[in-house]
Amino acid sequence: MPVPSLHHDVPALRTENLTKRYGRLLALDGLDLSVAAGQVFGFLGPNGAGKSTTIRLLLGLARPTAGRAVVFDVPAQDVAAAHAHLAYVPADVALWPGLTGAEILALLAAVGPGTDLAYRDELVERFALDPSLPGRAYSSGNRQKVALVAAFATRAPLLVLDEPTSGLDPLMEQQFRAVVRAARDRGQTVFLSSHQLAEVEAVCDRVAILRAGRLVEVADVAELRALHRTEVTAIVRGPVPDLRSVAAVEGLQVDVPAGGAAGTSRLRFTLTGAPAAALRALAPTDVVSLRLREPGLEEVFLGYYDSARDGGDQDARVAP
Amino acid sequence: MIAPTAPLVAAPAATTGPRRAVTRLAVRQVRRGATIVTVVAGAMSAVVVATYEGVIAGAPGGAASLTALAANPAIRTLFGAPVALDDAGGFTVWRLGTVLTVLVGTWAALTAVRVLRGEEDTGRWDLLLAGRVPATAAVSRHLAVLVTAVLVVGAAVTAALLAAGTDPTGAVVHGGSIALVGAFFVGVGGLTAQLWPSRGPAAGAAVAVLVAGLLARMVADGVETLGWLGWLSPFGLVAMARPYDTDRVLPLAVLAAAALVVLVVAVGTAGRRDVRGGVRPTRVRRSRTALLRSLPGSAVRATLRPLAGWAVGIGAFFLLIGLIAESMTRFLLDNPQFADLARQAGFELDAVQGYAATLFALLAVPLGGFTATRIAALAHAETTRRLDLLLGAPITRLRLLAVEAGTAAGGALALTATAGVAVWAGTSLTGAPLGLGAASAGAANTLPITALGLAFALLALGWAPRAVVAVGMVPAAGGFLLTVLADSVDAPAWVAALSPFTHLAPVPAAPPDVPAAVAMSVVAVGVAVLAALGYQRRDIRGD
Repeated sequence: MPVPSLHHDVPALRTENLTKRYGRLLALDGLDLSVAAGQVFGFLGPNGAGKSTTIRLLLGLARPTAGRAVVFDVPAQDVAAAHAHLAYVPADVALWPGLTGAEILALLAAVGPGTDLAYRDELVERFALDPSLPGRAYSSGNRQKVALVAAFATRAPLLVLDEPTSGLDPLMEQQFRAVVRAARDRGQTVFLSSHQLAEVEAVCDRVAILRAGRLVEVADVAELRALHRTEVTAIVRGPVPDLRSVAAVEGLQVDVPAGGAAGTSRLRFTLTGAPAAALRALAPTDVVSLRLREPGLEEVFLGYYDSARDGGDQDARVAP
Repeated sequence: MIAPTAPLVAAPAATTGPRRAVTRLAVRQVRRGATIVTVVAGAMSAVVVATYEGVIAGAPGGAASLTALAANPAIRTLFGAPVALDDAGGFTVWRLGTVLTVLVGTWAALTAVRVLRGEEDTGRWDLLLAGRVPATAAVSRHLAVLVTAVLVVGAAVTAALLAAGTDPTGAVVHGGSIALVGAFFVGVGGLTAQLWPSRGPAAGAAVAVLVAGLLARMVADGVETLGWLGWLSPFGLVAMARPYDTDRVLPLAVLAAAALVVLVVAVGTAGRRDVRGGVRPTRVRRSRTALLRSLPGSAVRATLRPLAGWAVGIGAFFLLIGLIAESMTRFLLDNPQFADLARQAGFELDAVQGYAATLFALLAVPLGGFTATRIAALAHAETTRRLDLLLGAPITRLRLLAVEAGTAAGGALALTATAGVAVWAGTSLTGAPLGLGAASAGAANTLPITALGLAFALLALGWAPRAVVAVGMVPAAGGFLLTVLADSVDAPAWVAALSPFTHLAPVPAAPPDVPAAVAMSVVAVGVAVLAALGYQRRDIRGD
């Protein structure tokens, strides 16, 4: 089932001042977000940041205190129309204990936005799911597989996935990434809330980071990569070159390397942007060794998580 | 990071033992329901016993009208044989004994299933049993708390009777009877919670035992040669104790022993099975997807099995009513002076029609239970987050509500028809004069109350989803309790008018009260509209 091209003209998802208050707790504070059609969009944030609340508002499962959410130009509250464009995998998949996996898949296909049955069979194979077991017999990972198979088999133009891989083993996680890429290649939009930073780095085109109910960053993954600073460690023999005048160099430290030969010095600095100037400054020196280290995107993400400490958010702590 | 000097075995931080913590958890789970049941049982007893002298004994017609009331076979079937109507305590026992034992027994069994199997179903017991308390101890602590709760209920009834100055022995025997029936059904609920691997069937099995006990008592009362059946029923045993009359202790001793056996077996079974499993391993069966191709189909499918259980229970009860109708009413034909007295006191009971009409009214109570539990199943699917998957599909909440309410209403219609056919089958077999049309009309006469029950359950779902069963039971079970109480204390007319049973004509003995039926239906529709508004406006919630 091809994805209607009409969907590429309008954002798959849009929220305007979306706000949700539970009594005294402000779970979501004026979220403005737009997800272009055809993207794999990562939705990150510490526990309690408001990710699942956002998704429940997008699905009309919860009613916003203020603001609105729109799915392909259909108000999220109009679920009969909005949900014809989307499929959903909840964070905590609960299945009917008395229905078998096959029965649950049949029911979800019957009520869902239309299912590609041949692809569903393929997905059952790929995720190594045994659909003959009753719902109560599935482990949490297998419950997630049932929901993932049902959602990816729909070919809905928007897939809303709330921490879909928290119970999957590494092999299944690989399958998941492949299936997400296949969905994007088909033109589907994937809205992926996740704590698996490596997974987000691997599959997402763009990410939003939520903290304490507020949006703190929306950026293309490529942009975030460009923000990378390279950590450089150089050991030189003889006179130490003067790098302070090089604009791209920051945090320069010079010391004697542990166990290094006499007359050697260790230079450590971070490099932002093009390395040419720094390399030119090092070139005349007798460089014994040069090590460049690129921190992964994970560390960039963690930086956003961690700065929650400054905001005093108790839930938003990530262990170092 | 853990410091290397951290001790490998930490001393328990809590000051009290783990078993006492489990006991406190159990108390928290049952205290609200226990308080309500205690207050209802104590207050109803207190009101009935306190107003006996002024209202019943001093009423126009006095003892004669009371005897006529007691002689009404329908009333005898419902409330049991009267033993000491000349005594305030004896009258209270006759009037409230069966109602209160059924109330306490049902609460005890369903609460035992809820706190044991229900909690286990949610996975919370995985956490609990990962602690230092073994499963048998956790189960026995919960059961002990529940047994204590029903003892308190019995004590409240005894206190109410003592406060009114009735004979202390009778008061203790009656209070003890109620407590022992409660304890027996704590055990039954505790045992079915071990045997069945999920809450619904376990609750159904426990209620089936209760209904079977009621039926056995009715047969024992109505058929002389089967009187021994009373010894097999908790309700029969407490009837044989005859409080305020002979105050027999032996039947109560038998009941106490039976309760103890069931409780011990329940705890023993808990130690012999997997947590989250039943005694038998879950079977793998073939997938059947025929009814799962649409939302209404899946709702029907989910209803079929519980509906079958309710149909068996209601069918058996009303078949029995039909079978004994002739022998019960013949008593009146043989004693025309009773019938005359009864007619003077305003009872239409010299015919099978009058008998059937009175008992058909009772049908609204189990039907209220059926609709409340069906809507409660929808609330349960929501709190366990099962609905998230369905509501992620293009299904509006209004549609879901309409489908579920429609399925529950269809099931209620089927059960109503079952009751009508069952009574007719019983009367046909014994040659009593009651046609299928008359029997069906008698059953259908209760439909407005059933509609009210369904609407109230929906109202709770829309605005207070945790209270679906309690609110859904208000029109039928609450109304029935109110009618019993109002009749017993000669309450002002406006109090009685609050109960929908007051507005029910005795069909098939009299033509139906169409305006009242229309009024009740209109109220039901209005309440359902209010329910739909609430359900669409609120958040879908998890546990």
